[in-house]
Amino acid sequence: MYYPEPISKLIDSFTKLPGIGPKTAVRLAFFVLEMEEDDVLDFAKSLVNAKRELTHCSTCGHITDQDPCSICQDESRDPTLICVVQDPKDVIAMEKMKDFRGKYHVLHGAISPMDGIGPEDINVPSLINRLKDEGVEELILATNPNIEGEATAMYISRLVKPSGIRMTRIAHGLPVGGDLEYADEVTLSKALEGRREL
Amino acid sequence: MYIQELSLRSYRNYDQLSLSFDHKINVIIGENAQGKTNLMEAIYVLAFARSHRTPRDKELIQWDAEYGKIKGSIFKRNRRFPLEIVLSNKGKKAKLNHIEQKRLSDYIGALNVVMFAPEDLNLVKGSPQVRRRFIDMEIGQIQPTYIYHLGQYQKILRQRNHLLKELQRKREADLTMLRVLTDQLIEHAATIVDRRFRFLQLLREWATPIHEGISRNLEQLEIAYDASVKVSEAMDLETLKSTYQEKFTDIETKEVERGTTLAGPHRDDLVFFVNGKDVQTYGSQGQQRTTALSLKLAEIELIHSEVGEYPILLLDDVLSELDDYRQSHLLHTIQGKVQTFVSTTSIDGIEHDALKEAEIFHVKEGTIDVQK
Ligand SMILES: Nc1ncnc2c1ncn2[C@@H]1O[C@H](COP(=O)(O)OP(=O)(O)OP(=O)(O)O)[C@@H](O)[C@H]1O
Ligand SMILES: [Mg+2]
Ligand SMILES: [Zn+2]
Repeated sequence: MYYPEPISKLIDSFTKLPGIGPKTAVRLAFFVLEMEEDDVLDFAKSLVNAKRELTHCSTCGHITDQDPCSICQDESRDPTLICVVQDPKDVIAMEKMKDFRGKYHVLHGAISPMDGIGPEDINVPSLINRLKDEGVEELILATNPNIEGEATAMYISRLVKPSGIRMTRIAHGLPVGGDLEYADEVTLSKALEGRREL
Repeated sequence: MYIQELSLRSYRNYDQLSLSFDHKINVIIGENAQGKTNLMEAIYVLAFARSHRTPRDKELIQWDAEYGKIKGSIFKRNRRFPLEIVLSNKGKKAKLNHIEQKRLSDYIGALNVVMFAPEDLNLVKGSPQVRRRFIDMEIGQIQPTYIYHLGQYQKILRQRNHLLKELQRKREADLTMLRVLTDQLIEHAATIVDRRFRFLQLLREWATPIHEGISRNLEQLEIAYDASVKVSEAMDLETLKSTYQEKFTDIETKEVERGTTLAGPHRDDLVFFVNGKDVQTYGSQGQQRTTALSLKLAEIELIHSEVGEYPILLLDDVLSELDDYRQSHLLHTIQGKVQTFVSTTSIDGIEHDALKEAEIFHVKEGTIDVQK
């Protein structure tokens, strides 16, 4: 199919998004053509700003527009309890259910020798430093329940064990081999209740 | 259980095909390279979502076609349900009762199939891999969660071997991650070996008397598990785990040196003895064949006792490989109970009452005619 260049480029951009196949990309591109010019401009600006103005919190690794992030700055949160997750999306999922009153640490991935990802390639060293400085008493290891996530949790627990910090692993209610971001809020809430000691 | 209907679309040399089968015996006759094995293979793929001949699904799709499809209508436990496999260059889909199954272990086991082909006569003589595949596929179809453990084990093994390669190069090794992967590996290794042990116990119960029967009471068959770690069938799951733990602690340095995992169920084997002698080393060709046949017949009975129904039996080109006595023993055992597919280039070499009532199909260049 032949499209004028500006449309082809737009279609190509949409196909770079997850879950968008060629057909959907074409539909979205033509939808954009029908949109009000102001809305399109806002949309484009939001895209650029999201990328330019967001950074990673230097304490916990979560995405933020201010450093440290609002969660790290929130003094009503329990600083002795840290929930370790793989991805910023996991923080957002946990925050939605509003039950968790501690802080977070975002690893940005899981250890996977096959993909050349070692502990130093994700935010493990910064977690260990945090534990030295911040008076943390408990870690909840909420990495994904697949092989790599499980291995990452086990690795961290081996490193941290000698310090005597209490560690629990979110274990129940999550689909085997599934990703945390797909878990609905109810299952997550159950998962948090049923955390087991490591 | 039996398969009532089968339809193929762009599968191997079948462009489009739709067949109804007899509940008992179906004979597929054709010259070489006409599509007999392809048809048998399609039924096998419907059961296991993979071929017995190749690990590459792409080969199953007709040349030049984008995708291939196998659909079957299965009758099991007084119920009729459809199974469907769609193969494409992007991957395969498996549907059970119209619903796509995301996990293989949720699909496999719906249809039980036992395949007996000339290469199975190699079960005794062939490489350990052939025997591991035999035992893994058979446990998998009666206990689908076994496939899950096997899959997890293989993924962890791959991670662990990558890490060992890395550690081998580095020398200033941090062994923490290796030990994590060892713990993960052991979880599944112990379960796999435990299930294999329990399967072997069942297999022996059936295979020993069957072998005695085929050998006219002259031969006593024994089956042993040859493990890369000193485990025994008397061990419970916890003891298996601690035994693996000890072994991996012992060989850690060696594994780093060699850069690969040196123990585990992926290195184990089965050993068959007839009258106390290892059949692989000392058995005659006839004894090796009898052993393979006993195992296949035992599988049929084992599935019947575990699943509650007989599996479908695929005899691809194998009847003519057996002498008259073994042939009639085989046909006698399955008679009337097991839906069977027999393929052959000529019906002349096969002589048995059972075949008189068979539905006969003639295959030529990917088309099939039913003999009236
Ligand atoms: N992907 C494919 N697309 C089209 N044709 C294929 C494909 N794969 C195999 N074939 C053809 O299928 C034929 C082989 O069919 P099959 O293996 O079923 O033979 P057979 O009838 O069992 O013969 P034999 O008696 O020698 O065992 C070959 O001619 C081969 O070229
Ligand atoms: Mg053939
Ligand atoms: Zn933060």
